[in-house]
Amino acid sequence: MSLDPVDRRLLEALQDDFPLERDPWTALGRRLGLGGPEVLDRCRRLAADGVLRMIGPVIEARQVGLSASTLVAMRVPPERLEATAALVNTYRGVSHNYRRDHNYALWFTLAAPDRAQLEAIVAEIGARTGIVPPDLIELPTVRRFKIDVRFRCPGPEEAIDGAC
Amino acid sequence: MEPADARLLTLLQDGLPLEEDPFARTAAALGTSPETVVQRLRALVAGGAVRRFGARIDQRRLGLVANAVIAWRVPENRIEAVGELFAARPEVTHCYERLGVSGAWEHTLFVVVHAPDPATVERMADALGEAAGLDDRVVLLSTAEYKRRPTVWLEVET
Repeated sequence: MSLDPVDRRLLEALQDDFPLERDPWTALGRRLGLGGPEVLDRCRRLAADGVLRMIGPVIEARQVGLSASTLVAMRVPPERLEATAALVNTYRGVSHNYRRDHNYALWFTLAAPDRAQLEAIVAEIGARTGIVPPDLIELPTVRRFKIDVRFRCPGPEEAIDGAC
Repeated sequence: MEPADARLLTLLQDGLPLEEDPFARTAAALGTSPETVVQRLRALVAGGAVRRFGARIDQRRLGLVANAVIAWRVPENRIEAVGELFAARPEVTHCYERLGVSGAWEHTLFVVVHAPDPATVERMADALGEAAGLDDRVVLLSTAEYKRRPTVWLEVET
């Protein structure tokens, strides 16, 4: 897949400042010096290529009744990782689940309506896997300084280090 | 949140259709006009229920195939300043203070970075440490993704 400079500017605009208007394609085009139909064509191509996953709302968890969130790490023996990850994934409140190169190998985020429900889910996962503290640690959010999952899209001629 | 707004957001959580009149389908499903849908979305953004409305991209397609959590041990009286410093860096997508577990996990300031390769992640960690005057950190490179979806996934009848 190759992105031309217009694709890169479009991807940044789609992330940073998508116009909430009846015809967003024309509004974006005005900013980028393109016609609305070309903006839409490019979006379709970027979606087909897989770089554009979707254009939609990022919903604030605390506004929809998910006010408690945490990060859980588990020391899982390598031969049990896949099965344990699959079990964890069955919980609806789990949004991200990764293997990481540490003896705490499984890391997942969990959100719930309140602290008590969060703790109950963590305890249930501990009971079902037999992996309990301190092989299972729970690290609740104290303070959120930043959540901003947007990516700069520099061209190949620009430094990527730290700029993306 | 109003039930009508929850239905609207549920309809849009897979993304806007890439069509000439992108709000038309959602409006038809809700029995309203595209203009009304746009107005509701603006109000939800203004009210904070929608943190932003825009594209989610697959950063791996931009060559950012490495992601890492970097957890830092920071003196209590510096957490706020360091958290704000890290949050201001463009390479940091998430920055959270978490409650540690005494004796098991005491690196309580967490950042997430994305980079083309693990060596760049290390350089980013060095640069963050240098900026903050800290060197006690754990770099947790991701080696497999088992699940990744938006934190909020609405299941409302539409």
